[in-house]
Amino acid sequence: MIELMQFRNFKVLRDTQLPLSRFTLIVGPNGSGKSTAMQALRFVAQPGPFQFTQVATLGLLPTTTETVEVILRWGVPHEGVITTTHWGPRGWSRSHAKCSGANLSEREEQSLNVKLDRSRIYSLHTNVITIPVELSPNLELQEDGRYFAGVLDQLRDREPERFEALNEELGRWLPEFDRILFDTPSSGHRAFLLRTRKGRHALPASDLSQGTLLALTILTLAYLPDPPPIICFEEPDRGIHPRLLRHVQDALYRLSYPESVGEVRQPVQVLATTHSPYFLDLFKDHPEEIIIAHKVGQEARFERLSDQPAIAEMLGEAPLGEIWYSGILGGVPVES
Amino acid sequence: MKVAVLSESPADVAALHILIDGLLLRPTQPIEPPQQSRTRGWSDVLQVLPAVLKHLHYRTDTQAFAVVIDADASPLHQPTHEVPGREVAKCRLCQLRRVATQTQQQLRPVSGRIPVQVAIGIAVPAIEAWYRCGLEPHINEITYLQNPQTVTDFHTRNHLKRYVYGTERPSLPLETQQAVAAAQRLVQSLSDLERLFPNGFGALARDVRSWTLG
Repeated sequence: MIELMQFRNFKVLRDTQLPLSRFTLIVGPNGSGKSTAMQALRFVAQPGPFQFTQVATLGLLPTTTETVEVILRWGVPHEGVITTTHWGPRGWSRSHAKCSGANLSEREEQSLNVKLDRSRIYSLHTNVITIPVELSPNLELQEDGRYFAGVLDQLRDREPERFEALNEELGRWLPEFDRILFDTPSSGHRAFLLRTRKGRHALPASDLSQGTLLALTILTLAYLPDPPPIICFEEPDRGIHPRLLRHVQDALYRLSYPESVGEVRQPVQVLATTHSPYFLDLFKDHPEEIIIAHKVGQEARFERLSDQPAIAEMLGEAPLGEIWYSGILGGVPVES
Repeated sequence: MKVAVLSESPADVAALHILIDGLLLRPTQPIEPPQQSRTRGWSDVLQVLPAVLKHLHYRTDTQAFAVVIDADASPLHQPTHEVPGREVAKCRLCQLRRVATQTQQQLRPVSGRIPVQVAIGIAVPAIEAWYRCGLEPHINEITYLQNPQTVTDFHTRNHLKRYVYGTERPSLPLETQQAVAAAQRLVQSLSDLERLFPNGFGALARDVRSWTLG
Protein backbone atom coordinates (compact mmCIF):
# COMPACT_ATOMS: atom_id res chain seq x y z
CA MET A 1 0.00 0.00 0.00
CA ILE A 2 1.15 3.54 -0.72
CA GLU A 3 1.07 5.54 2.51
CA LEU A 4 2.13 8.89 1.16
CA MET A 5 2.61 10.64 -2.17
CA GLN A 6 4.91 13.67 -2.25
CA PHE A 7 4.87 16.09 -5.15
CA ARG A 8 7.31 18.74 -6.25
CA ASN A 9 6.63 20.87 -9.33
CA PHE A 10 4.17 18.27 -10.62
CA LYS A 11 1.60 20.34 -12.48
CA VAL A 12 -0.66 22.13 -9.96
CA LEU A 13 0.95 20.13 -7.13
CA ARG A 14 3.96 22.37 -6.65
CA ASP A 15 4.94 21.34 -3.15
CA THR A 16 2.54 19.14 -1.25
CA GLN A 17 1.92 15.63 -0.01
CA LEU A 18 -1.05 13.32 -0.06
CA PRO A 19 -1.48 10.84 2.83
CA LEU A 20 -3.30 7.70 1.74
CA SER A 21 -5.23 4.94 3.51
CA ARG A 22 -6.51 1.65 2.15
CA PHE A 23 -9.49 3.74 1.08
CA THR A 24 -9.12 7.48 0.46
CA LEU A 25 -11.76 9.96 -0.70
CA ILE A 26 -10.62 13.35 -1.97
CA VAL A 27 -12.95 16.35 -2.02
CA GLY A 28 -12.12 19.78 -3.33
CA PRO A 29 -12.95 22.37 -5.95
CA ASN A 30 -12.30 21.88 -9.65
CA GLY A 31 -8.63 22.31 -10.44
CA SER A 32 -7.46 21.48 -6.90
CA GLY A 33 -5.25 18.59 -7.96
CA LYS A 34 -7.55 15.64 -7.25
CA SER A 35 -7.28 14.15 -10.71
CA THR A 36 -3.67 15.28 -11.03
CA ALA A 37 -2.73 13.21 -7.98
CA MET A 38 -4.30 10.17 -9.61
CA GLN A 39 -2.61 10.95 -12.90
CA ALA A 40 0.71 11.04 -11.07
CA LEU A 41 0.34 7.33 -10.38
CA ARG A 42 0.06 6.63 -14.11
CA PHE A 43 3.05 8.86 -14.80
CA VAL A 44 5.10 7.07 -12.15
CA ALA A 45 4.07 3.68 -13.53
CA GLN A 46 5.18 4.68 -17.04
CA PRO A 47 7.32 7.80 -16.80
CA GLY A 48 8.94 7.33 -20.19
CA PRO A 49 6.44 8.79 -22.61
CA PHE A 50 6.20 12.11 -20.77
CA GLN A 51 8.40 15.14 -21.36
CA PHE A 52 9.39 17.64 -18.67
CA THR A 53 7.01 20.24 -20.06
CA GLN A 54 4.07 17.81 -19.86
CA VAL A 55 4.47 17.19 -16.15
CA ALA A 56 5.98 20.45 -14.88
CA THR A 57 4.18 23.21 -13.00
CA LEU A 58 2.98 25.91 -15.34
CA GLY A 59 5.72 28.49 -15.96
CA LEU A 60 8.54 26.28 -14.69
CA LEU A 61 11.49 26.71 -17.00
CA PRO A 62 13.50 23.64 -17.97
CA THR A 63 16.65 24.72 -16.13
CA THR A 64 19.08 22.22 -14.71
CA THR A 65 18.34 23.15 -11.09
CA GLU A 66 14.59 22.57 -11.08
CA THR A 67 13.13 19.09 -11.50
CA VAL A 68 9.72 17.55 -11.26
CA GLU A 69 9.48 14.89 -8.58
CA VAL A 70 6.89 12.42 -7.36
CA ILE A 71 7.81 10.27 -4.37
CA LEU A 72 5.76 7.31 -3.18
CA ARG A 73 6.26 6.06 0.37
CA TRP A 74 5.10 2.49 0.70
CA GLY A 75 3.58 0.73 3.70
CA VAL A 76 2.76 -2.94 4.27
CA PRO A 77 4.06 -5.16 2.70
CA HIS A 78 6.78 -2.82 1.44
CA GLU A 79 7.43 -0.81 4.64
CA GLY A 80 10.30 1.60 4.39
CA VAL A 81 10.46 1.59 0.61
CA ILE A 82 10.28 4.79 -1.40
CA THR A 83 9.83 5.13 -5.15
CA THR A 84 11.25 8.33 -6.56
CA THR A 85 10.47 9.56 -10.06
CA HIS A 86 12.22 12.60 -11.54
CA TRP A 87 11.60 14.44 -14.74
CA GLY A 88 14.26 16.92 -15.77
CA PRO A 89 15.13 18.77 -18.94
CA ARG A 90 17.41 15.89 -19.92
CA GLY A 91 15.02 13.04 -19.27
CA TRP A 92 13.50 11.04 -16.49
CA SER A 93 14.52 8.49 -13.88
CA ARG A 94 12.67 6.18 -11.51
CA SER A 95 14.10 4.20 -8.65
CA HIS A 96 12.89 2.13 -5.72
CA ALA A 97 14.99 2.28 -2.55
CA LYS A 98 14.77 1.50 1.14
CA CYS A 99 14.89 4.49 3.51
CA SER A 100 17.38 2.57 5.64
CA GLY A 101 19.79 2.35 2.73
CA ALA A 102 19.51 -1.44 2.65
CA ASN A 103 19.34 -3.12 -0.72
CA LEU A 104 16.00 -3.88 -2.27
CA SER A 105 15.67 -7.42 -3.54
CA GLU A 106 15.01 -7.91 -7.23
CA ARG A 107 11.82 -9.72 -6.32
CA GLU A 108 10.50 -6.81 -4.24
CA GLU A 109 11.42 -4.36 -6.97
CA GLN A 110 9.52 -6.48 -9.47
CA SER A 111 6.53 -6.66 -7.15
CA LEU A 112 6.46 -2.84 -6.87
CA ASN A 113 6.68 -2.47 -10.64
CA VAL A 114 3.80 -4.89 -11.14
CA LYS A 115 1.66 -2.96 -8.63
CA LEU A 116 2.34 0.29 -10.41
CA ASP A 117 1.82 -1.21 -13.87
CA ARG A 118 -1.47 -2.77 -12.85
CA SER A 119 -2.82 0.38 -11.17
CA ARG A 120 -5.89 1.76 -12.95
CA ILE A 121 -7.63 5.12 -13.03
CA TYR A 122 -11.26 4.48 -13.92
CA SER A 123 -13.18 7.26 -15.58
CA LEU A 124 -16.10 5.27 -16.94
CA HIS A 125 -18.00 6.20 -20.09
CA THR A 126 -21.41 4.66 -20.52
CA ASN A 127 -21.27 4.66 -24.32
CA VAL A 128 -18.10 2.53 -24.09
CA ILE A 129 -19.38 0.16 -21.38
CA THR A 130 -22.19 -0.96 -23.70
CA ILE A 131 -20.02 -1.79 -26.73
CA PRO A 132 -20.14 -5.51 -27.68
CA VAL A 133 -16.75 -7.12 -27.10
CA GLU A 134 -14.73 -9.30 -29.42
CA LEU A 135 -13.90 -12.29 -27.23
CA SER A 136 -10.33 -13.16 -26.42
CA PRO A 137 -8.65 -14.77 -23.41
CA ASN A 138 -7.92 -12.67 -20.32
CA LEU A 139 -9.87 -9.54 -21.12
CA GLU A 140 -9.37 -6.80 -18.56
CA LEU A 141 -11.75 -3.95 -17.86
CA GLN A 142 -10.24 -0.81 -19.37
CA GLU A 143 -10.20 2.53 -17.61
CA ASP A 144 -13.07 3.90 -19.72
CA GLY A 145 -15.18 0.74 -19.23
CA ARG A 146 -14.18 -0.97 -22.49
CA TYR A 147 -14.44 -4.79 -22.61
CA PHE A 148 -17.06 -4.80 -19.85
CA ALA A 149 -19.27 -7.44 -21.53
CA GLY A 150 -16.20 -9.65 -21.98
CA VAL A 151 -15.19 -9.28 -18.35
CA LEU A 152 -18.70 -10.27 -17.24
CA ASP A 153 -18.61 -13.24 -19.63
CA GLN A 154 -15.26 -14.39 -18.17
CA LEU A 155 -16.55 -14.03 -14.62
CA ARG A 156 -19.57 -16.20 -15.44
CA ASP A 157 -17.42 -18.93 -17.02
CA ARG A 158 -14.45 -18.92 -14.63
CA GLU A 159 -15.96 -17.85 -11.31
CA PRO A 160 -19.61 -18.97 -11.38
CA GLU A 161 -20.05 -18.51 -7.62
CA ARG A 162 -18.83 -14.94 -7.80
CA PHE A 163 -21.06 -14.33 -10.80
CA GLU A 164 -24.06 -15.61 -8.84
CA ALA A 165 -23.15 -13.40 -5.89
CA LEU A 166 -22.87 -10.46 -8.28
CA ASN A 167 -26.37 -11.18 -9.60
CA GLU A 168 -27.71 -11.32 -6.05
CA GLU A 169 -26.08 -8.03 -5.16
CA LEU A 170 -27.39 -6.50 -8.38
CA GLY A 171 -30.88 -7.38 -7.18
CA ARG A 172 -30.26 -5.49 -3.95
CA TRP A 173 -28.88 -2.41 -5.72
CA LEU A 174 -31.43 -2.33 -8.53
CA PRO A 175 -34.43 -4.44 -7.48
CA GLU A 176 -36.10 -4.00 -10.87
CA PHE A 177 -33.48 -6.37 -12.33
CA ASP A 178 -32.69 -9.94 -11.31
CA ARG A 179 -30.00 -11.19 -13.66
CA ILE A 180 -27.23 -10.40 -16.11
CA LEU A 181 -27.77 -12.10 -19.45
CA PHE A 182 -25.58 -12.40 -22.54
CA ASP A 183 -26.09 -12.13 -26.24
CA THR A 184 -23.94 -12.89 -29.29
CA PRO A 185 -24.66 -9.99 -31.63
CA SER A 186 -22.17 -11.28 -34.21
CA SER A 187 -19.73 -14.13 -34.50
CA GLY A 188 -17.15 -14.02 -31.68
CA HIS A 189 -18.71 -10.99 -30.02
CA ARG A 190 -20.42 -10.75 -26.66
CA ALA A 191 -22.94 -8.22 -25.39
CA PHE A 192 -24.71 -8.09 -22.05
CA LEU A 193 -28.30 -7.42 -21.06
CA LEU A 194 -30.18 -7.08 -17.79
CA ARG A 195 -33.33 -9.08 -17.15
CA THR A 196 -36.23 -7.31 -15.48
CA ARG A 197 -37.59 -9.01 -12.37
CA LYS A 198 -41.15 -8.31 -13.48
CA GLY A 199 -42.00 -9.82 -16.83
CA ARG A 200 -38.47 -11.19 -17.35
CA HIS A 201 -37.73 -8.92 -20.26
CA ALA A 202 -34.11 -8.69 -21.40
CA LEU A 203 -33.00 -5.07 -21.74
CA PRO A 204 -29.95 -4.54 -23.97
CA ALA A 205 -27.09 -2.62 -22.38
CA SER A 206 -27.68 0.27 -24.76
CA ASP A 207 -31.20 0.71 -23.32
CA LEU A 208 -30.04 0.89 -19.71
CA SER A 209 -29.75 4.22 -17.91
CA GLN A 210 -26.35 5.80 -17.39
CA GLY A 211 -26.60 5.39 -13.61
CA THR A 212 -27.46 1.69 -13.99
CA LEU A 213 -24.46 1.09 -16.24
CA LEU A 214 -22.05 2.94 -13.96
CA ALA A 215 -23.37 1.22 -10.84
CA LEU A 216 -23.15 -2.21 -12.47
CA THR A 217 -19.55 -1.60 -13.58
CA ILE A 218 -18.40 -0.50 -10.13
CA LEU A 219 -20.23 -3.43 -8.55
CA THR A 220 -18.60 -5.87 -10.98
CA LEU A 221 -15.12 -4.53 -10.22
CA ALA A 222 -15.74 -5.27 -6.55
CA TYR A 223 -16.59 -8.89 -7.37
CA LEU A 224 -13.58 -9.63 -9.60
CA PRO A 225 -11.29 -12.33 -8.16
CA ASP A 226 -8.10 -10.41 -8.94
CA PRO A 227 -8.80 -6.70 -9.24
CA PRO A 228 -5.97 -4.22 -9.88
CA PRO A 229 -3.92 -3.64 -6.70
CA ILE A 230 -4.43 0.13 -6.86
CA ILE A 231 -7.69 1.58 -8.19
CA CYS A 232 -8.53 5.23 -8.67
CA PHE A 233 -12.09 6.31 -9.38
CA GLU A 234 -13.07 9.66 -10.79
CA GLU A 235 -16.40 10.41 -9.11
CA PRO A 236 -17.78 6.90 -8.54
CA ASP A 237 -21.03 8.58 -7.44
CA ARG A 238 -21.56 10.23 -10.84
CA GLY A 239 -25.01 9.62 -12.28
CA ILE A 240 -26.06 7.42 -9.38
CA HIS A 241 -29.10 8.17 -7.22
CA PRO A 242 -28.15 9.43 -3.72
CA ARG A 243 -29.94 6.50 -2.11
CA LEU A 244 -27.71 4.06 -4.00
CA LEU A 245 -24.52 5.71 -2.78
CA ARG A 246 -24.45 3.53 0.31
CA HIS A 247 -24.14 0.54 -2.04
CA VAL A 248 -21.32 2.26 -3.92
CA GLN A 249 -19.55 2.77 -0.60
CA ASP A 250 -20.04 -0.93 0.17
CA ALA A 251 -18.50 -1.88 -3.19
CA LEU A 252 -15.46 0.35 -2.63
CA TYR A 253 -14.97 -1.01 0.89
CA ARG A 254 -15.34 -4.54 -0.49
CA LEU A 255 -12.30 -3.78 -2.63
CA SER A 256 -10.21 -2.17 0.09
CA TYR A 257 -11.36 -4.19 3.11
CA PRO A 258 -12.03 -7.65 1.59
CA GLU A 259 -11.77 -9.33 4.98
CA SER A 260 -14.85 -7.40 6.18
CA VAL A 261 -16.99 -9.38 3.71
CA GLY A 262 -15.12 -12.66 4.07
CA GLU A 263 -13.16 -12.25 0.83
CA VAL A 264 -9.77 -13.98 0.77
CA ARG A 265 -7.57 -11.81 -1.41
CA GLN A 266 -5.15 -8.92 -1.12
CA PRO A 267 -6.77 -5.57 -0.28
CA VAL A 268 -7.05 -3.11 -3.13
CA GLN A 269 -5.90 0.41 -2.41
CA VAL A 270 -8.73 2.65 -3.53
CA LEU A 271 -8.48 6.36 -4.20
CA ALA A 272 -11.66 8.18 -5.21
CA THR A 273 -12.83 11.74 -5.77
CA THR A 274 -16.26 13.23 -5.26
CA HIS A 275 -18.20 16.47 -5.43
CA SER A 276 -21.23 14.94 -3.76
CA PRO A 277 -22.12 16.00 -0.20
CA TYR A 278 -24.39 12.95 -0.04
CA PHE A 279 -21.51 10.60 -0.78
CA LEU A 280 -19.25 12.40 1.67
CA ASP A 281 -21.88 12.00 4.43
CA LEU A 282 -21.26 8.27 4.42
CA PHE A 283 -17.68 8.64 5.62
CA LYS A 284 -18.33 10.74 8.73
CA ASP A 285 -17.10 8.01 11.07
CA HIS A 286 -13.80 7.77 9.22
CA PRO A 287 -12.38 11.28 8.85
CA GLU A 288 -8.94 9.71 8.44
CA GLU A 289 -10.12 8.50 5.02
CA ILE A 290 -11.08 11.97 3.80
CA ILE A 291 -8.63 14.31 2.10
CA ILE A 292 -9.51 17.95 1.62
CA ALA A 293 -7.91 19.43 -1.51
CA HIS A 294 -7.25 23.16 -1.13
CA LYS A 295 -6.71 25.40 -4.13
CA VAL A 296 -4.49 28.35 -3.37
CA GLY A 297 -4.01 30.52 -6.44
CA GLN A 298 -2.38 28.33 -9.08
CA GLU A 299 -1.27 25.74 -6.52
CA ALA A 300 -3.01 22.97 -4.65
CA ARG A 301 -2.35 21.19 -1.40
CA PHE A 302 -3.90 18.30 0.48
CA GLU A 303 -4.94 17.90 4.10
CA ARG A 304 -6.29 14.86 5.89
CA LEU A 305 -9.62 15.76 7.51
CA SER A 306 -8.71 14.00 10.77
CA ASP A 307 -5.64 16.25 11.03
CA GLN A 308 -7.77 19.39 11.27
CA PRO A 309 -7.92 20.72 14.84
CA ALA A 310 -10.94 19.83 17.00
CA ILE A 311 -12.51 17.97 14.10
CA ALA A 312 -14.78 15.76 16.24
CA GLU A 313 -16.36 18.83 17.83
CA MET A 314 -16.53 20.62 14.49
CA LEU A 315 -18.44 17.81 12.82
CA GLY A 316 -20.85 17.59 15.74
CA GLU A 317 -24.38 16.73 14.70
CA ALA A 318 -24.57 17.91 11.11
CA PRO A 319 -24.03 15.70 8.05
CA LEU A 320 -20.38 15.85 6.96
CA GLY A 321 -21.37 16.84 3.42
CA GLU A 322 -23.25 19.88 4.67
CA ILE A 323 -20.33 21.02 6.80
CA TRP A 324 -17.99 20.63 3.84
CA TYR A 325 -20.39 22.59 1.64
CA SER A 326 -20.44 25.41 4.21
CA GLY A 327 -16.75 25.93 3.51
CA ILE A 328 -15.43 25.73 7.07
CA LEU A 329 -13.41 22.61 6.27
CA GLY A 330 -11.93 24.12 3.11
CA GLY A 331 -11.97 22.31 -0.21
CA VAL A 332 -14.53 24.63 -1.79
CA PRO A 333 -14.20 27.03 -4.73
CA VAL A 334 -12.92 30.51 -3.92
CA GLU A 335 -15.48 33.13 -4.90
CA SER A 336 -14.28 36.18 -6.79
CA MET B 1 -51.86 -2.14 11.98
CA LYS B 2 -49.79 -0.24 9.43
CA VAL B 3 -46.59 1.11 10.91
CA ALA B 4 -43.96 3.41 9.39
CA VAL B 5 -40.47 3.72 10.84
CA LEU B 6 -37.98 6.52 10.32
CA SER B 7 -34.39 5.89 11.33
CA GLU B 8 -30.85 6.46 10.13
CA SER B 9 -30.39 3.26 8.13
CA PRO B 10 -32.63 0.74 6.36
CA ALA B 11 -30.98 -1.96 8.48
CA ASP B 12 -32.23 -0.22 11.63
CA VAL B 13 -35.70 0.18 10.14
CA ALA B 14 -35.86 -3.60 9.60
CA ALA B 15 -34.77 -4.27 13.19
CA LEU B 16 -37.14 -1.68 14.66
CA HIS B 17 -40.16 -3.26 12.98
CA ILE B 18 -39.30 -6.50 14.82
CA LEU B 19 -38.92 -4.71 18.16
CA ILE B 20 -42.20 -2.85 17.67
CA ASP B 21 -44.03 -6.10 16.88
CA GLY B 22 -42.54 -7.51 20.09
CA LEU B 23 -43.72 -4.54 22.12
CA LEU B 24 -47.23 -4.79 20.67
CA LEU B 25 -47.27 -8.60 20.97
CA ARG B 26 -48.69 -8.83 17.46
CA PRO B 27 -47.38 -8.48 13.92
CA THR B 28 -47.76 -5.13 12.25
CA GLN B 29 -47.68 -4.26 8.58
CA PRO B 30 -44.60 -2.26 7.59
CA ILE B 31 -45.08 0.53 5.10
CA GLU B 32 -43.52 -0.77 1.92
CA PRO B 33 -41.16 1.06 -0.41
CA PRO B 34 -41.30 3.52 -2.09
CA GLN B 35 -43.00 5.11 0.92
CA GLN B 36 -40.07 4.04 3.09
CA SER B 37 -38.24 7.09 4.37
CA ARG B 38 -34.50 7.59 4.67
CA THR B 39 -32.48 10.24 6.40
CA ARG B 40 -28.90 11.43 6.34
CA GLY B 41 -28.43 11.66 10.09
CA TRP B 42 -29.72 13.56 13.06
CA SER B 43 -30.08 17.10 11.74
CA ASP B 44 -31.74 15.70 8.65
CA VAL B 45 -34.28 13.78 10.76
CA LEU B 46 -35.30 16.99 12.46
CA GLN B 47 -35.73 18.73 9.11
CA VAL B 48 -37.65 15.99 7.32
CA LEU B 49 -39.84 14.89 10.23
CA PRO B 50 -42.65 17.42 9.56
CA ALA B 51 -42.76 16.48 5.86
CA VAL B 52 -42.79 12.75 6.63
CA LEU B 53 -45.60 13.18 9.17
CA LYS B 54 -47.64 15.21 6.65
CA HIS B 55 -46.98 12.61 3.96
CA LEU B 56 -48.17 9.80 6.24
CA HIS B 57 -51.27 11.75 7.29
CA TYR B 58 -52.44 13.06 3.92
CA ARG B 59 -51.24 10.41 1.48
CA THR B 60 -51.24 7.06 3.29
CA ASP B 61 -53.37 5.02 5.66
CA THR B 62 -50.50 4.54 8.10
CA GLN B 63 -51.79 4.23 11.65
CA ALA B 64 -48.59 4.56 13.65
CA PHE B 65 -45.14 6.02 13.15
CA ALA B 66 -41.93 5.36 15.10
CA VAL B 67 -38.81 7.50 14.96
CA VAL B 68 -35.54 6.29 16.42
CA ILE B 69 -32.27 8.18 16.19
CA ASP B 70 -28.82 7.89 17.72
CA ALA B 71 -27.99 10.14 20.67
CA ASP B 72 -24.31 10.41 19.68
CA ALA B 73 -22.90 13.02 22.07
CA SER B 74 -26.14 14.84 22.83
CA PRO B 75 -27.48 15.08 26.40
CA LEU B 76 -29.16 11.90 27.58
CA HIS B 77 -32.92 12.10 27.94
CA GLN B 78 -33.89 12.07 31.64
CA PRO B 79 -37.17 11.43 33.48
CA THR B 80 -37.14 15.08 34.55
CA HIS B 81 -37.52 16.10 30.88
CA GLU B 82 -40.95 14.46 30.91
CA VAL B 83 -42.33 17.15 33.18
CA PRO B 84 -44.16 19.76 31.04
CA GLY B 85 -42.06 22.90 30.73
CA ARG B 86 -38.85 21.08 31.69
CA GLU B 87 -37.89 19.81 28.25
CA VAL B 88 -34.21 20.28 27.44
CA ALA B 89 -33.39 22.17 24.26
CA LYS B 90 -30.40 20.03 23.31
CA CYS B 91 -32.02 16.69 24.14
CA ARG B 92 -32.82 15.06 20.82
CA LEU B 93 -35.83 13.20 22.18
CA CYS B 94 -37.31 16.44 23.53
CA GLN B 95 -36.63 18.18 20.19
CA LEU B 96 -38.25 15.42 18.15
CA ARG B 97 -41.29 15.36 20.41
CA ARG B 98 -41.67 19.13 20.10
CA VAL B 99 -41.45 19.04 16.29
CA ALA B 100 -43.82 16.05 16.04
CA THR B 101 -46.39 17.66 18.36
CA GLN B 102 -46.25 21.01 16.56
CA THR B 103 -46.62 19.33 13.17
CA GLN B 104 -49.56 17.20 14.27
CA GLN B 105 -51.33 20.26 15.65
CA GLN B 106 -51.11 21.85 12.18
CA LEU B 107 -52.53 18.87 10.27
CA ARG B 108 -55.95 19.30 8.67
CA PRO B 109 -58.44 16.58 9.59
CA VAL B 110 -58.90 13.99 6.86
CA SER B 111 -62.27 12.33 6.56
CA GLY B 112 -62.27 8.82 8.04
CA ARG B 113 -58.73 9.20 9.25
CA ILE B 114 -57.52 9.33 12.83
CA PRO B 115 -54.21 11.09 13.45
CA VAL B 116 -51.06 8.99 13.09
CA GLN B 117 -49.87 7.78 16.49
CA VAL B 118 -46.22 8.61 17.11
CA ALA B 119 -43.51 6.89 19.15
CA ILE B 120 -40.02 8.31 19.57
CA GLY B 121 -36.91 6.61 20.89
CA ILE B 122 -33.27 7.54 21.22
CA ALA B 123 -30.42 5.06 21.14
CA VAL B 124 -27.55 5.88 23.49
CA PRO B 125 -25.00 6.43 22.09
CA ALA B 126 -26.00 4.57 18.90
CA ILE B 127 -28.45 1.82 18.02
CA GLU B 128 -25.61 -0.71 17.94
CA ALA B 129 -25.59 -0.41 21.76
CA TRP B 130 -29.14 -1.82 21.79
CA TYR B 131 -28.03 -4.65 19.50
CA ARG B 132 -25.34 -5.65 22.04
CA CYS B 133 -27.66 -5.33 25.05
CA GLY B 134 -27.30 -8.33 27.33
CA LEU B 135 -24.10 -9.51 25.67
CA GLU B 136 -21.73 -6.91 27.17
CA PRO B 137 -22.60 -5.87 30.72
CA HIS B 138 -20.96 -2.45 30.33
CA ILE B 139 -23.15 -1.49 27.39
CA ASN B 140 -26.06 0.40 28.91
CA GLU B 141 -27.27 3.97 29.31
CA ILE B 142 -25.76 4.40 32.77
CA THR B 143 -22.24 3.69 31.51
CA TYR B 144 -22.57 6.35 28.84
CA LEU B 145 -24.17 8.76 31.27
CA GLN B 146 -21.19 8.39 33.58
CA ASN B 147 -18.63 8.69 30.76
CA PRO B 148 -20.18 11.13 28.30
CA GLN B 149 -16.81 11.97 26.76
CA THR B 150 -16.53 8.43 25.41
CA VAL B 151 -19.30 9.03 22.90
CA THR B 152 -17.77 12.14 21.38
CA ASP B 153 -14.98 10.35 19.60
CA PHE B 154 -15.21 8.25 16.51
CA HIS B 155 -13.57 5.28 18.24
CA THR B 156 -16.55 4.54 20.45
CA ARG B 157 -18.96 4.39 17.53
CA ASN B 158 -16.51 2.36 15.50
CA HIS B 159 -15.89 -0.02 18.41
CA LEU B 160 -19.62 -0.57 18.71
CA LYS B 161 -19.77 -1.35 15.01
CA ARG B 162 -16.94 -3.81 15.40
CA TYR B 163 -18.77 -5.49 18.31
CA VAL B 164 -21.97 -5.84 16.33
CA TYR B 165 -20.83 -6.41 12.75
CA GLY B 166 -17.27 -7.67 13.20
CA THR B 167 -15.97 -4.74 11.15
CA GLU B 168 -16.03 -0.95 11.30
CA ARG B 169 -17.15 -0.87 7.66
CA PRO B 170 -20.12 -3.25 7.40
CA SER B 171 -21.86 -3.60 4.07
CA LEU B 172 -25.57 -2.85 4.06
CA PRO B 173 -26.57 -6.56 3.68
CA LEU B 174 -24.31 -7.48 6.63
CA GLU B 175 -25.65 -4.58 8.67
CA THR B 176 -29.22 -5.62 7.94
CA GLN B 177 -28.54 -9.28 8.67
CA GLN B 178 -26.94 -8.51 12.04
CA ALA B 179 -29.49 -5.87 13.01
CA VAL B 180 -32.36 -8.25 12.27
CA ALA B 181 -30.63 -11.11 14.13
CA ALA B 182 -30.08 -8.83 17.12
CA ALA B 183 -33.70 -7.68 17.09
CA GLN B 184 -34.91 -11.29 16.94
CA ARG B 185 -32.78 -12.03 20.02
CA LEU B 186 -33.83 -8.87 21.87
CA VAL B 187 -37.50 -9.39 21.25
CA GLN B 188 -37.28 -12.44 23.55
CA SER B 189 -36.22 -10.20 26.45
CA LEU B 190 -37.51 -6.71 25.81
CA SER B 191 -37.72 -6.09 29.54
CA ASP B 192 -33.90 -6.28 29.72
CA LEU B 193 -33.56 -3.75 26.91
CA GLU B 194 -36.01 -1.49 28.68
CA ARG B 195 -34.22 -1.91 32.02
CA LEU B 196 -30.73 -1.20 30.62
CA PHE B 197 -31.86 1.61 28.29
CA PRO B 198 -34.73 3.05 30.38
CA ASN B 199 -34.77 6.53 28.87
CA GLY B 200 -33.98 5.91 25.20
CA PHE B 201 -35.59 2.54 24.50
CA GLY B 202 -37.95 2.93 27.46
CA ALA B 203 -39.45 6.08 25.91
CA LEU B 204 -40.05 4.25 22.63
CA ALA B 205 -41.56 1.25 24.41
CA ARG B 206 -43.96 3.37 26.46
CA ASP B 207 -45.11 5.28 23.36
CA VAL B 208 -45.60 2.11 21.33
CA ARG B 209 -47.58 0.39 24.09
CA SER B 210 -49.84 3.42 24.30
CA TRP B 211 -50.87 3.06 20.64
CA THR B 212 -54.50 2.19 20.05
CA LEU B 213 -54.43 -0.95 17.96
CA GLY B 214 -56.37 -0.79 14.73
